Parts: sequence; C-alpha cells; structure tokens
Amino acid sequence: MTQELFIASHCHISNNMVSLNGTTVHEQKGTDFVSFAKSAYKKFDIDYSKFFKMDNLSKLAFLAADLLLKDDNIKEKQNIALVFSNRAASLDTDRRHQESISKNDSYFPSPAVFVYTLPNICMGEISIKHKLHSENAFFIFEKFNAQYLHTYTESLILEKKAEKVLCGWTELDGEKYKAFLYVVGKSGIFTHSTHQITRLYQNK
Amino acid sequence: MGAGVAITGIGIISAIGGNVSENYRSLISGKIGIDKITQIETVHKDEIMVGEIKDDNPTLEKRLKFLENQNSRTVLIGCIAAQEAVEQAGILDINDVRTGFISGTTVGGMDKSEQYFYDYFDRPEVRQHITGLHAGDSTKKIADHIGLKEGFVTTISTACSSAANAIMLGARMIKSRQLDRVIVGGTDSLSKFTINGFKTLMILSDTYNTPFDDNRKGLNLGEAAAYLVLESDAIVNKENKTVLGYLKGYGNANDAYHQTASSEHGDGAVLAMQKALEVAGMDPSEIDYVNAHGTATPNNDLSEGRALIRLFNGKVPEFSSTKAFTGHTLAAAGGVEAVYSILGLQNDVIFPNLNYKTQMKEFDISPVTKVKNKPLNTVLSNSFGFGGNCSTLIFSKAK
Repeated sequence: MTQELFIASHCHISNNMVSLNGTTVHEQKGTDFVSFAKSAYKKFDIDYSKFFKMDNLSKLAFLAADLLLKDDNIKEKQNIALVFSNRAASLDTDRRHQESISKNDSYFPSPAVFVYTLPNICMGEISIKHKLHSENAFFIFEKFNAQYLHTYTESLILEKKAEKVLCGWTELDGEKYKAFLYVVGKSGIFTHSTHQITRLYQNK
Repeated sequence: MGAGVAITGIGIISAIGGNVSENYRSLISGKIGIDKITQIETVHKDEIMVGEIKDDNPTLEKRLKFLENQNSRTVLIGCIAAQEAVEQAGILDINDVRTGFISGTTVGGMDKSEQYFYDYFDRPEVRQHITGLHAGDSTKKIADHIGLKEGFVTTISTACSSAANAIMLGARMIKSRQLDRVIVGGTDSLSKFTINGFKTLMILSDTYNTPFDDNRKGLNLGEAAAYLVLESDAIVNKENKTVLGYLKGYGNANDAYHQTASSEHGDGAVLAMQKALEVAGMDPSEIDYVNAHGTATPNNDLSEGRALIRLFNGKVPEFSSTKAFTGHTLAAAGGVEAVYSILGLQNDVIFPNLNYKTQMKEFDISPVTKVKNKPLNTVLSNSFGFGGNCSTLIFSKAK
C-alpha cells in the first residue's frame, strides 16, 4: 500500500537571510553569524533564553526548525521525527574545543562547549524546545542527498514511526552556513519527491 | 505476539567476576565489586571508588593468548565476554548461518589513546593505540576474535543505553529475517576520559554507591563487557538448541529534556517502557521484577522511580538496581543487566539492591535489599543514556 506524502512547508537560512515557503521573512546584511542569529531570534519573538548558550550549528538548526514548528498546523504533541544531514558534522565546535586544549599552558576545556561536539545535539535542542519524544537521526553526507532523505522519511511515516518528519540540511562551518529544513506529512503543497526536494533546496 | 527472540548464549566479565557463574555467585552472596582504583593512574584516585575488573591487562592478554599491549582493554574484556557467549550457545561454526555482531561502546580505545597520544609521532610502535581509538575498532577486533568472517557488524554509541540498543537492533534484525543469529551487547573499560568527564559533572560518589537511597551521593564508574547470542526460531528448532530465555519486548524513546540529566517525571523512561510492553504484547501487571537503571545519582533514581510509579499506576513490582555491585558500566550496562535478568529468570531469584538504608522522601516505593527467591516469568530492564536516550528491554523465561 502506498500513500502519497507531501512537503507542507520549508525554510531556508543562508547569507544572513531567512526565507519561509519561498518568501524572505528576515534579512540582516553585514554582520557575522552570531549577530545575525540574534537578530532573527529577536525578529521572530523567540522567548527561549537557552538559545544563547547553544553552539552556532544548534542556533542555525533551531531557528529554522522554530519557524516551521510554530506554524499553527503543527501541534505540540504530534509525533514529528527529525532527520537532519550536513557535511561538516560539528567541526565548527570541534575546532573551538580543540583550541581550548591545544596549549599546555592555557588548557581550559569547557563542558559547555564540549557537549556540542556532536552534530545531533542540535536535534536535541529542537526536541527539548518542542517536546518531541520522537525518532531522530543525523546523517553526514559529502553533499545534499535528497534521495536518502526521501527514502528515510517515507519509511518513517509509512511504518508509522512518525506522523510527520522535519528533515533537511543544516550545515555550518565558520561563517559559511546553510539551513534548508522542510516538513513532510500527509498533506501539503508539494509532492514529496526527490525532484521537489532538490528543487526547493536549490531555490532560496 | 509470539515467544520473542530466543537467547541461546550469555557471556560477561565485570568487577564481580570473570564469567557468568562468577557473576552469579557474587550476586547471590552479596559480594560488591567496588573499590579504590588500581589500574589507572589518576589524580582523583583518593576521591573516587570504581567497579574495576580485577585482572590487569597482561592477565587478560594471557587468558586470550593475545600479544602484549596491542589492544585496548575495551577490546580485551569484549573478546572474553563475546567468546563466552558464543561458547555457551554451542556454536561450532560461527559462519554457518547469517551471523551479525552489534556492540555498544562509548570509550572504545580511549584508555590506550590517552596513554600514548603524545607518542604518536616519535613511536611508530604505539600508533595502533591512536588508530584504535574509535568505537568501531573495538567492534571489528572482537568480531575477528570470535571468527566472524562476513556478516553484519556495527557499533552503537548512545551513552549508557548503548548495549540495550545493540540488543534491540539485533532482535529487530532477527525478527525481520535479515540475520539468523546475532551477538549483541556492549563493552567499556575505565579510562581517564570517563572518570574526568563524570567528575566534571559532579555525579561521582566518593564512597559505595547507594541506589534509591535518600542519601545517595552519586555513581561509581565501572567497567564490564557482556554479550548475548540471539538466534532465530528456525535455528533453535533445527539444532534443538537450549534456550536460556526470550527477549520479548524492547523500546527506545527520547526524553527531550537535557543533555546530561533526566526529566523530572521520567517522560522518556515511561515512553520507553510503554513501547517495550507494546512490542511484548504485555500489560504492566505481567512484569514480575524490574532491574532498574538505578545509577544512584540523585537525578536518575528520582526520575526513574517516578517513571515506575507512573507506568505501573502505583503498583510497582519488586525492583532493584545491581549497580551497587558493578558500578555503572556505561555502554556495557544494558548488556550486564540483560545477563543478570536472564540469570534471575533461570534461577527464580531477585538480586538485591545493596547499600540501601533510607527511604527516599519523594515517594514510598523501595527496592528489594536482600536476595529473594520468587518465581520469575518476566523481567523488565531499563538503561537510560545521556542525551535523553532511554531504552527498555523485557525478558521472559524459557519454556
């Protein structure tokens, strides 16, 4: 039995710009990622102080997820799985941790940094905020892999492990970053196909 | 729902014994494995107590007929436990059916990597201790040791629920007929990395850990390896195998609360136990005994106790934590406690929650504190990991 699935909404964050379902909803040029993330946090009225202790990858993923999950079509208790991917894993934070332990005379590792030296921690932050006690998986790919995300997502929903899946790409390394997240469910605007996923990934 | 997945072999090495029967004897005679640390040179040695395996590496290497100082202790103890499980299952040719090996570990070869890290460039003869760091290396070496030539081999690293998740994955692969046989469990040796990490989190006790006691001060770290052999019904029937017990149910859930702490009311724990009961097709009232995660940290025991009360609707069956014996063996804990659950079922005995004195204030449930003989048909075992990774296994008696 096959059931057709749809992409209900999608969000892009890159180049100091946030877009939701193809429309630019926030922009702040000329600042670094941290200031840009803070400006988006303010703009979208996210009242969640834990945001400020997150590493940059988590901030990026959190902002994109928050925009999609606060949509009133998605209720809190719904079984929404998370399937994320990227290329650099948590290298950005790994480097910060490495810097703190590389010199014998200034050896100050910080547990607050260390806990973020895994890419899937960003999914943990999203789970905590939105109370998602659901399945989650984070994959590392050479480049965006629509096929893999498509197959994994279809299987999660068809096997009834999840009602909806928040999936996509959350990549951050230094000042280079790109988040593309989308929600897949039983209703929506676009057909859930690798063709549509790739098309939306490429469009800003 | 069927009988579940058959368990045909078990193997273990822990602070309370070098094999299954030694562990059993310690459990029923109340022999604690917690002591001062002897095999790792650490500045914390006077402030902590650990569940250390008594044999040093040369002794383990001799037992395995391995070359001296080539392997992490995680590999050595893993090989010993996996070998015992395979032998007990009466496997003569491990490659005769589609066999897998799924191992949980958190530290991998860290014990040796931290020792030889600065020698990497100058001493080529110790480089295997750096390349042996990653978790998969220990799994591969144990798979080689038990003679596995081809087949599904993988590592699960989900903190303290690693072995439970390895057991769960193995069972699912047997059920979906992707494997005919699978060796599942976990291995973790002590290392400075874990000692220092847990020290930083300030959840280490400076004395014997006291699960579910109102005055509990935290956990003792331990080291262990423990594996089960799971086999398909087809093989069990064809070879007329002795079944030690069945894995009836399993569940994993996300606590969605905190990186290193459990939620106040054990949301993830309740969900994991509910899922496991669902897979087993059982009602909570059918559980005869709970082998609790019970790490003896203030946070875990409160959260887990509340979760038990919620799941069993106030009628919590007899429960105990065996961590007062072994310490918290991290990635191996789910395997260690799976072996203890099977021993409990085989011998109709509940192992005691040692060191318990004072009733916790927050609720009125209390653990079994003395060895107790009772017919056991079903045991539920919990393993909860950092990151809110909560897992539950349900075992039942062999018929």
